[in-house]
Amino acid sequence: MDNLTLWLLFIAAGLGTFLVRLSFIQLHGSTEALIQRSKKILMLLPPAILAALCVPALVFTRPATEYQIAPSQLVAAAVTIFIAKYSRSVFWPVVGGMLCFWLVQYIIH
Amino acid sequence: MTDYRKQFWLGVRDLLPLVSGVLPFGLITGATGVSLGMTPEMVMGMTVLFFAGSAQLAAYSLIQDNAPFVIILLTAVVINLRFVIYSATFAPLLGPLKKRYRFPLAYMLSDQVYGLCSMPDQQQKTDSERLWYLTGVSISMALSWILSVILGVAIGASIPAHWSLEFTIPLAFLAMLVTTISNRLLFFVAIISGSCAIAFQLLPYNAGFILAVTAGVSCGLFIPELFKKRSNKHG
Repeated sequence: MDNLTLWLLFIAAGLGTFLVRLSFIQLHGSTEALIQRSKKILMLLPPAILAALCVPALVFTRPATEYQIAPSQLVAAAVTIFIAKYSRSVFWPVVGGMLCFWLVQYIIH
Repeated sequence: MTDYRKQFWLGVRDLLPLVSGVLPFGLITGATGVSLGMTPEMVMGMTVLFFAGSAQLAAYSLIQDNAPFVIILLTAVVINLRFVIYSATFAPLLGPLKKRYRFPLAYMLSDQVYGLCSMPDQQQKTDSERLWYLTGVSISMALSWILSVILGVAIGASIPAHWSLEFTIPLAFLAMLVTTISNRLLFFVAIISGSCAIAFQLLPYNAGFILAVTAGVSCGLFIPELFKKRSNKHG
Protein backbone atom coordinates (compact mmCIF):
# COMPACT_ATOMS: atom_id res chain seq x y z
CA MET A 1 0.00 0.00 0.00
CA ASP A 2 1.44 3.41 -0.90
CA ASN A 3 1.72 6.25 1.59
CA LEU A 4 -1.25 8.25 0.28
CA THR A 5 -3.57 5.25 0.59
CA LEU A 6 -2.23 4.62 4.10
CA TRP A 7 -2.97 8.22 5.12
CA LEU A 8 -6.48 7.94 3.65
CA LEU A 9 -6.93 4.75 5.65
CA PHE A 10 -5.73 6.38 8.88
CA ILE A 11 -8.04 9.36 8.43
CA ALA A 12 -11.04 7.15 7.59
CA ALA A 13 -10.37 4.81 10.53
CA GLY A 14 -9.78 7.77 12.85
CA LEU A 15 -13.04 9.36 11.78
CA GLY A 16 -14.89 6.05 12.14
CA THR A 17 -13.50 5.59 15.64
CA PHE A 18 -14.45 9.12 16.60
CA LEU A 19 -18.02 8.58 15.37
CA VAL A 20 -18.24 5.36 17.42
CA ARG A 21 -17.10 7.29 20.48
CA LEU A 22 -19.49 10.17 19.78
CA SER A 23 -22.45 7.92 18.89
CA PHE A 24 -24.52 7.86 22.06
CA ILE A 25 -23.28 11.18 23.32
CA GLN A 26 -24.65 12.76 20.14
CA LEU A 27 -27.86 10.73 20.10
CA HIS A 28 -28.36 11.27 23.82
CA GLY A 29 -31.82 10.25 24.93
CA SER A 30 -33.13 8.69 21.72
CA THR A 31 -31.67 5.18 21.51
CA GLU A 32 -31.69 3.31 24.80
CA ALA A 33 -33.20 0.12 23.37
CA LEU A 34 -30.62 -0.35 20.61
CA ILE A 35 -27.67 -0.83 22.96
CA GLN A 36 -29.58 -3.44 24.98
CA ARG A 37 -30.17 -5.46 21.81
CA SER A 38 -26.61 -5.21 20.52
CA LYS A 39 -24.97 -5.95 23.89
CA LYS A 40 -24.73 -9.70 23.20
CA ILE A 41 -22.87 -9.23 19.90
CA LEU A 42 -20.65 -6.52 21.40
CA MET A 43 -19.63 -8.98 24.11
CA LEU A 44 -18.80 -11.75 21.61
CA LEU A 45 -16.85 -9.59 19.14
CA PRO A 46 -13.62 -8.98 21.09
CA PRO A 47 -12.63 -12.66 21.59
CA ALA A 48 -13.64 -13.51 18.00
CA ILE A 49 -11.61 -10.66 16.48
CA LEU A 50 -8.58 -11.09 18.72
CA ALA A 51 -8.41 -14.84 18.09
CA ALA A 52 -8.78 -14.43 14.32
CA LEU A 53 -6.03 -11.80 14.35
CA CYS A 54 -3.44 -13.61 16.42
CA VAL A 55 -3.88 -17.38 15.96
CA PRO A 56 -2.62 -17.73 12.34
CA ALA A 57 0.26 -15.31 13.00
CA LEU A 58 1.27 -17.33 16.07
CA VAL A 59 1.10 -20.80 14.53
CA PHE A 60 2.66 -20.10 11.13
CA THR A 61 5.67 -18.09 9.97
CA ARG A 62 5.01 -14.83 8.10
CA PRO A 63 4.55 -14.00 5.24
CA ALA A 64 1.95 -16.73 5.01
CA THR A 65 2.58 -18.17 1.58
CA GLU A 66 2.62 -21.77 2.78
CA TYR A 67 1.62 -23.60 5.93
CA GLN A 68 4.93 -23.65 7.77
CA ILE A 69 4.63 -24.13 11.52
CA ALA A 70 7.03 -22.10 13.73
CA PRO A 71 7.94 -23.95 16.96
CA SER A 72 9.64 -20.95 18.59
CA GLN A 73 6.45 -18.90 18.12
CA LEU A 74 4.30 -21.67 19.61
CA VAL A 75 6.49 -21.86 22.74
CA ALA A 76 6.36 -18.05 23.05
CA ALA A 77 2.55 -18.14 22.70
CA ALA A 78 2.25 -20.78 25.46
CA VAL A 79 4.38 -18.67 27.81
CA THR A 80 2.33 -15.56 26.96
CA ILE A 81 -0.95 -17.36 27.74
CA PHE A 82 0.48 -18.60 31.03
CA ILE A 83 1.68 -15.15 32.18
CA ALA A 84 -1.49 -13.41 30.94
CA LYS A 85 -3.62 -15.80 33.03
CA TYR A 86 -1.92 -14.63 36.20
CA SER A 87 -0.89 -11.02 35.54
CA ARG A 88 -4.06 -9.82 33.72
CA SER A 89 -1.96 -7.19 31.92
CA VAL A 90 -0.72 -6.94 28.34
CA PHE A 91 2.86 -5.83 28.93
CA TRP A 92 4.40 -8.64 31.02
CA PRO A 93 2.97 -11.49 28.91
CA VAL A 94 4.41 -9.87 25.77
CA VAL A 95 7.82 -9.35 27.42
CA GLY A 96 7.86 -12.95 28.68
CA GLY A 97 6.77 -14.29 25.30
CA MET A 98 9.38 -12.29 23.39
CA LEU A 99 12.23 -13.36 25.73
CA CYS A 100 11.16 -16.96 25.28
CA PHE A 101 10.90 -16.52 21.49
CA TRP A 102 14.46 -15.11 21.31
CA LEU A 103 15.78 -17.88 23.57
CA VAL A 104 14.28 -20.69 21.45
CA GLN A 105 15.48 -19.04 18.22
CA TYR A 106 18.99 -18.76 19.70
CA ILE A 107 18.97 -22.46 20.69
CA ILE A 108 17.65 -23.62 17.29
CA HIS A 109 20.16 -21.62 15.20
CA MET B 1 -14.08 27.76 40.40
CA THR B 2 -11.35 26.49 42.75
CA ASP B 3 -13.59 23.50 43.48
CA TYR B 4 -13.71 22.61 39.78
CA ARG B 5 -9.95 23.02 39.51
CA LYS B 6 -9.61 20.61 42.43
CA GLN B 7 -11.75 18.04 40.56
CA PHE B 8 -9.59 18.46 37.43
CA TRP B 9 -6.36 17.77 39.35
CA LEU B 10 -8.03 14.90 41.21
CA GLY B 11 -8.67 13.32 37.81
CA VAL B 12 -5.04 13.86 36.78
CA ARG B 13 -3.84 12.33 40.04
CA ASP B 14 -6.10 9.27 39.73
CA LEU B 15 -4.83 8.59 36.21
CA LEU B 16 -1.14 8.64 37.17
CA PRO B 17 -0.97 5.07 38.53
CA LEU B 18 -2.57 3.84 35.28
CA VAL B 19 0.33 5.32 33.28
CA SER B 20 2.34 2.21 34.27
CA GLY B 21 -0.04 0.27 32.00
CA VAL B 22 -0.31 2.91 29.26
CA LEU B 23 3.44 3.47 28.87
CA PRO B 24 4.51 -0.09 27.88
CA PHE B 25 1.56 -0.44 25.49
CA GLY B 26 2.50 2.90 23.90
CA LEU B 27 6.14 1.79 23.65
CA ILE B 28 5.09 -1.40 21.84
CA THR B 29 2.75 0.54 19.52
CA GLY B 30 5.42 3.10 18.61
CA ALA B 31 8.34 0.69 18.26
CA THR B 32 6.41 -1.86 16.19
CA GLY B 33 5.15 0.79 13.80
CA VAL B 34 8.72 1.85 13.06
CA SER B 35 9.87 -1.78 12.76
CA LEU B 36 7.22 -2.32 10.03
CA GLY B 37 8.95 0.37 7.96
CA MET B 38 6.57 3.26 8.60
CA THR B 39 8.05 6.74 9.02
CA PRO B 40 7.83 8.33 12.49
CA GLU B 41 5.41 10.95 11.07
CA MET B 42 3.09 8.21 9.85
CA VAL B 43 3.17 6.33 13.13
CA MET B 44 2.41 9.52 15.07
CA GLY B 45 -0.26 10.62 12.58
CA MET B 46 -1.90 7.23 12.93
CA THR B 47 -1.65 7.44 16.73
CA VAL B 48 -3.34 10.84 16.90
CA LEU B 49 -6.04 9.91 14.36
CA PHE B 50 -6.83 6.49 15.82
CA PHE B 51 -6.23 7.37 19.48
CA ALA B 52 -6.80 3.65 20.15
CA GLY B 53 -3.87 1.26 20.66
CA SER B 54 -5.48 -2.11 19.95
CA ALA B 55 -7.07 -0.88 16.70
CA GLN B 56 -3.69 0.53 15.68
CA LEU B 57 -1.95 -2.82 16.30
CA ALA B 58 -4.70 -4.61 14.37
CA ALA B 59 -4.27 -2.20 11.45
CA TYR B 60 -0.50 -2.82 11.52
CA SER B 61 -0.90 -6.56 11.18
CA LEU B 62 -3.48 -6.23 8.39
CA ILE B 63 -1.36 -3.65 6.51
CA GLN B 64 1.53 -6.10 6.82
CA ASP B 65 -0.67 -8.84 5.30
CA ASN B 66 -1.61 -6.51 2.41
CA ALA B 67 -5.28 -6.66 3.35
CA PRO B 68 -7.60 -4.45 1.29
CA PHE B 69 -8.54 -0.94 2.44
CA VAL B 70 -12.14 -1.74 3.40
CA ILE B 71 -11.17 -4.75 5.54
CA ILE B 72 -8.59 -2.76 7.51
CA LEU B 73 -11.03 0.10 7.98
CA LEU B 74 -13.85 -2.20 9.13
CA THR B 75 -11.58 -4.09 11.51
CA ALA B 76 -10.23 -0.93 13.13
CA VAL B 77 -13.73 0.45 13.67
CA VAL B 78 -15.18 -2.89 14.86
CA ILE B 79 -12.39 -3.29 17.42
CA ASN B 80 -13.39 0.13 18.74
CA LEU B 81 -17.07 -0.79 19.01
CA ARG B 82 -16.66 -1.10 22.78
CA PHE B 83 -16.57 2.71 22.79
CA VAL B 84 -20.29 2.61 21.99
CA ILE B 85 -20.84 1.38 25.54
CA TYR B 86 -18.66 4.17 26.95
CA SER B 87 -20.45 6.69 24.77
CA ALA B 88 -23.79 5.51 26.13
CA THR B 89 -22.47 5.68 29.70
CA PHE B 90 -21.36 9.29 29.42
CA ALA B 91 -24.16 10.48 27.13
CA PRO B 92 -26.17 12.09 29.97
CA LEU B 93 -23.05 13.97 31.08
CA LEU B 94 -21.52 15.00 27.74
CA GLY B 95 -24.60 15.15 25.50
CA PRO B 96 -25.88 18.55 26.69
CA LEU B 97 -22.44 20.23 26.25
CA LYS B 98 -21.57 22.69 23.48
CA LYS B 99 -19.94 21.15 20.39
CA ARG B 100 -16.50 22.59 21.12
CA TYR B 101 -16.44 20.72 24.46
CA ARG B 102 -18.50 17.67 23.42
CA PHE B 103 -16.34 16.70 20.42
CA PRO B 104 -12.90 16.83 22.08
CA LEU B 105 -14.14 14.95 25.16
CA ALA B 106 -15.76 12.30 22.93
CA TYR B 107 -12.51 11.97 20.97
CA MET B 108 -10.58 11.35 24.18
CA LEU B 109 -12.89 8.59 25.52
CA SER B 110 -10.84 5.52 26.39
CA ASP B 111 -10.84 2.42 28.56
CA GLN B 112 -9.05 4.33 31.31
CA VAL B 113 -11.47 7.27 31.24
CA TYR B 114 -14.40 4.87 31.37
CA GLY B 115 -12.82 2.89 34.20
CA LEU B 116 -12.15 5.89 36.44
CA CYS B 117 -15.17 8.05 35.65
CA SER B 118 -17.87 5.38 35.93
CA MET B 119 -16.83 4.32 39.45
CA PRO B 120 -19.60 4.38 42.08
CA ASP B 121 -18.02 7.22 44.10
CA GLN B 122 -18.21 9.43 40.99
CA GLN B 123 -22.00 9.06 40.88
CA GLN B 124 -22.32 10.98 44.16
CA LYS B 125 -20.72 14.13 42.73
CA THR B 126 -22.57 16.92 40.96
CA ASP B 127 -22.56 16.91 37.15
CA SER B 128 -20.09 19.78 36.81
CA GLU B 129 -17.73 18.19 39.33
CA ARG B 130 -17.88 14.93 37.35
CA LEU B 131 -17.26 16.83 34.14
CA TRP B 132 -14.12 18.52 35.47
CA TYR B 133 -12.89 15.22 36.87
CA LEU B 134 -13.47 13.56 33.48
CA THR B 135 -11.65 16.38 31.72
CA GLY B 136 -8.63 15.94 34.02
CA VAL B 137 -8.52 12.18 33.42
CA SER B 138 -9.03 12.57 29.64
CA ILE B 139 -6.34 15.18 29.05
CA SER B 140 -3.70 13.45 31.16
CA MET B 141 -4.56 10.11 29.52
CA ALA B 142 -4.23 11.60 26.01
CA LEU B 143 -0.88 13.19 26.88
CA SER B 144 0.57 10.05 28.44
CA TRP B 145 -0.58 7.88 25.51
CA ILE B 146 0.91 10.15 22.83
CA LEU B 147 4.18 10.67 24.76
CA SER B 148 4.54 6.89 25.28
CA VAL B 149 4.17 6.25 21.55
CA ILE B 150 6.74 8.99 20.75
CA LEU B 151 9.14 7.27 23.15
CA GLY B 152 8.41 3.94 21.46
CA VAL B 153 9.13 5.44 18.02
CA ALA B 154 12.46 6.82 19.30
CA ILE B 155 13.48 3.48 20.82
CA GLY B 156 12.12 1.38 17.94
CA ALA B 157 14.38 3.06 15.38
CA SER B 158 17.46 1.64 17.13
CA ILE B 159 16.25 -1.97 17.35
CA PRO B 160 17.72 -4.31 14.67
CA ALA B 161 15.29 -6.03 12.26
CA HIS B 162 16.39 -9.60 13.02
CA TRP B 163 14.94 -9.27 16.53
CA SER B 164 11.51 -9.74 14.82
CA LEU B 165 9.94 -7.06 17.00
CA GLU B 166 6.75 -7.30 14.92
CA PHE B 167 6.08 -10.63 16.64
CA THR B 168 4.98 -8.56 19.66
CA ILE B 169 1.74 -7.80 17.74
CA PRO B 170 0.21 -11.31 17.82
CA LEU B 171 1.59 -11.78 21.36
CA ALA B 172 -0.13 -8.58 22.52
CA PHE B 173 -3.40 -9.74 20.92
CA LEU B 174 -3.01 -13.11 22.60
CA ALA B 175 -2.53 -11.45 26.00
CA MET B 176 -5.61 -9.28 25.39
CA LEU B 177 -7.52 -12.37 24.28
CA VAL B 178 -6.69 -14.19 27.51
CA THR B 179 -7.91 -11.22 29.58
CA THR B 180 -11.19 -10.91 27.59
CA ILE B 181 -12.13 -14.58 28.05
CA SER B 182 -14.20 -14.49 31.22
CA ASN B 183 -16.44 -17.51 30.67
CA ARG B 184 -16.66 -20.79 28.75
CA LEU B 185 -18.79 -19.36 25.93
CA LEU B 186 -16.20 -16.68 25.11
CA PHE B 187 -13.46 -19.33 25.23
CA PHE B 188 -15.45 -21.38 22.72
CA VAL B 189 -15.95 -18.34 20.47
CA ALA B 190 -12.18 -17.75 20.47
CA ILE B 191 -11.45 -21.40 19.61
CA ILE B 192 -13.92 -21.39 16.68
CA SER B 193 -12.70 -18.05 15.37
CA GLY B 194 -9.01 -18.99 15.73
CA SER B 195 -9.44 -22.37 13.99
CA CYS B 196 -11.42 -20.80 11.14
CA ALA B 197 -8.74 -18.11 10.76
CA ILE B 198 -6.15 -20.87 10.29
CA ALA B 199 -8.33 -22.91 7.95
CA PHE B 200 -9.13 -19.92 5.71
CA GLN B 201 -5.86 -17.98 6.02
CA LEU B 202 -4.88 -18.39 2.38
CA LEU B 203 -8.16 -17.00 1.01
CA PRO B 204 -7.65 -13.76 -0.97
CA TYR B 205 -8.48 -10.26 0.38
CA ASN B 206 -8.29 -11.46 3.98
CA ALA B 207 -11.74 -12.96 3.54
CA GLY B 208 -10.63 -15.64 5.99
CA PHE B 209 -10.40 -13.08 8.79
CA ILE B 210 -13.96 -11.81 8.27
CA LEU B 211 -15.25 -15.40 7.90
CA ALA B 212 -13.54 -16.40 11.14
CA VAL B 213 -14.98 -13.49 13.14
CA THR B 214 -18.46 -14.11 11.70
CA ALA B 215 -18.23 -17.83 12.48
CA GLY B 216 -17.07 -17.14 16.05
CA VAL B 217 -19.81 -14.61 16.80
CA SER B 218 -22.55 -16.73 15.14
CA CYS B 219 -21.55 -19.75 17.21
CA GLY B 220 -21.54 -17.57 20.31
CA LEU B 221 -25.11 -16.47 19.57
CA PHE B 222 -26.31 -19.92 18.47
CA ILE B 223 -24.86 -22.23 21.14
CA PRO B 224 -26.66 -20.77 24.20
CA GLU B 225 -29.98 -21.02 22.27
CA LEU B 226 -29.26 -24.66 21.54
CA PHE B 227 -28.68 -25.43 25.23
CA LYS B 228 -31.79 -23.49 26.21
CA LYS B 229 -33.95 -25.55 23.82
CA ARG B 230 -32.49 -28.82 25.03
CA SER B 231 -33.01 -28.06 28.72
CA ASN B 232 -36.58 -26.97 27.93
CA LYS B 233 -37.29 -30.35 26.33
CA HIS B 234 -35.95 -32.26 29.29
CA GLY B 235 -37.56 -30.03 31.88
